[in-house]
Amino acid sequence: MKKRGYKKFIPYIYSLPGLIFIGLMIVFPILYTGYISLTNMNVYHWFDFHIIGFQNYKKALFVLDTGFLAAFGRTIVWTAVNMMLQMIIAFLIASLLNVEGLKLKGVYKTILMFPWAMPGYISILLWRMGMFNTEFGLLNNWLNRLGFSDVHWLNSDHIAFGSSVVVNLWLALPFMIMIIDGALQSIDKTYYESATIEGAGYFVQVRQITLPLLKPIIAPAVIITMFTTFKQFDIIYLLTQQQGSKTGADIHTVITYTYEKAFVTNNYGYSSAISIIIFMILIIFSLAIRGGKKGGDVDE
Amino acid sequence: MKKMLSVLLIAALCLSVVAGCGKTNGENQDVTVDSEDESASGNTAQEVQEPTNIIIWYETQEAIAQELQKELDKLAPEIIVSVERKDKLTEALKLVGNDPSSAPDMYFFAHDKIGIYAEMGILSPITNFIPASTFDDFIPMTVDAATYKEQIYQLPIYFESLLFMYNKELMQEVPTTTDELLLYMEANTIDGNYGFVEQHSTAYFSVGWIHAYDGFIINDKAQPGLDRQETKDAIKYHKQFVNYMPIDGDYNTMTTLFKEGRAHSTIGGPWLIPDLVENGIDIGIAPMPIVNATSKAISPFAGIQGICVLKEAENKKEAVTKVLEQLSKPDIGINLAKTIGSAPVNNKCYDDDAVKNNEIVMTLKEASATAVPMPNVPEMDVMWAITENLLSSVNKGDKDPVIASDEAQKKALEQIEAMK
Repeated sequence: MKKRGYKKFIPYIYSLPGLIFIGLMIVFPILYTGYISLTNMNVYHWFDFHIIGFQNYKKALFVLDTGFLAAFGRTIVWTAVNMMLQMIIAFLIASLLNVEGLKLKGVYKTILMFPWAMPGYISILLWRMGMFNTEFGLLNNWLNRLGFSDVHWLNSDHIAFGSSVVVNLWLALPFMIMIIDGALQSIDKTYYESATIEGAGYFVQVRQITLPLLKPIIAPAVIITMFTTFKQFDIIYLLTQQQGSKTGADIHTVITYTYEKAFVTNNYGYSSAISIIIFMILIIFSLAIRGGKKGGDVDE
Repeated sequence: MKKMLSVLLIAALCLSVVAGCGKTNGENQDVTVDSEDESASGNTAQEVQEPTNIIIWYETQEAIAQELQKELDKLAPEIIVSVERKDKLTEALKLVGNDPSSAPDMYFFAHDKIGIYAEMGILSPITNFIPASTFDDFIPMTVDAATYKEQIYQLPIYFESLLFMYNKELMQEVPTTTDELLLYMEANTIDGNYGFVEQHSTAYFSVGWIHAYDGFIINDKAQPGLDRQETKDAIKYHKQFVNYMPIDGDYNTMTTLFKEGRAHSTIGGPWLIPDLVENGIDIGIAPMPIVNATSKAISPFAGIQGICVLKEAENKKEAVTKVLEQLSKPDIGINLAKTIGSAPVNNKCYDDDAVKNNEIVMTLKEASATAVPMPNVPEMDVMWAITENLLSSVNKGDKDPVIASDEAQKKALEQIEAMK
């Protein structure tokens, strides 16, 4: 009888080191941020701060109304546009990669993986300096040779948004392509054969066979990418908001807005409150998606 | 057997992680124990005294650190000073400022962070160690820069500001007024070559123009001045010049253009000069052009580099005093002027021939009469981003300067409120 009781605890003992590690690295900082958000830690009370309750949250939600809400809306548009484009383009490219009799598949895949392998920071700066630069960038060089005048890629809001989407796609597509490629290869070829025998065309096959079988496989990847896109900081910051070389476009997302408004003030109590608010938004998002997904499964 | 092996390996991994942390703590504790012993026994008999260890952090060029180390090695063996490099010095100080085992005793940095650190309570006024009369021979602007809320927190050593540099091969006659400069730019900016370039939309560089109109970004009472008529006039006037420069106006583009001889002139710091000389540019230095509308020269920010003392070092008072006394002598100023061409703050240094003959140093000395030190109030931290947003939207986004300035002023006041 004792042995059985002991065996129950073995899985927990094995996961304990991992759990401790996650606890220290992830849970503790979040809890500490929550603690600081309830205090008045700022330049004037750097070491001698004390708890002041929810004043920071009041400040965050009611003072930041105009800029914060606009940034939040823009972040949702940014995530939606990027996810849609990513899935469509990745699906197209992955389908092309899986065409029967394609030679040099390995070479294409290696080249397509290249953006993912390069450090993001450097890639983004290269895009900014080498491609989007108004006087010396490659894109304007090409346009000039074709007879068009210079385009200011990063100076006005809408064009800068488009440029950032392009860079994000460049960086994120390899991951999606890889996932969808793997998923496509795992679909049983016999389905397509029987569909062709019964007279189904290409688009009907895609709609009725490929997409439904793809959904469960790529769902986790899509969710991860959605969250990564939502909290994408590097691209918007490095392209348009870097201190010392801002471009005049105001395409703040929630996280770059927070960085510029809160972190810069050295008011850690206030910044922590905003971080916790964003964290809560992401948690609600994640629960909503899981709930929706579960509902879908039950329906099927 | 396999289980045993894996358990042993995991244990070894954990131990190595713990061991790594353990060592550094031990070292720091040794240093503090030494100096505590010293201050305790210093009051008693003058027997075999343990030397006091002083640690100074820096984040600037190696050449400067070496000069500091050389100068302070003269205090050995009673006082052993180690000048150590610390990356991200400003952030590190915020984290460990009040922790005696990890914080340095002093640090070498620009004066603009004094306000923040003073409010955080980690700085000790310099006048606790050396008398105020030490500063009598210093350039007054530098002592103002080192003062926050009537207390002097920094011992200034040298200052730097921006210079008007031009390529002697490309520019024969240097414009003396800004209207002349504009005409020069109109005539000479074609085919990827530019008459004049500068980082036109950053706060640090544009403030020279704003000061020429008697405007300001923030004053020493922490009041932003972005919506003043003077600031608006300066920004409106400056916009004409932006039309003849690359619109991005970032550091890399501008310095590369000047380095490759595609820009005739620029406004830059003396730190660029070694690189330019290496690229074979025949550099000339000229006084800043004078703005016609106000008859004042473009007056950029000046950064004053010097030593500050942390509060925890008050228990090593004698050693710190000796270090400060050593650095307030003209020697360090003269040596730094010779090695890196910086302008010393001590007027006595300018009696030295080597300093008198250095063109860059003397130009900076003249500029010090009109240069404005960067504000050292904590509220300045939020002004950089706001000012830059203002300039970018006007210069690159074609926003109306008056509307943009009013909005920026509002945002500045909100941000300053948010700091509390």
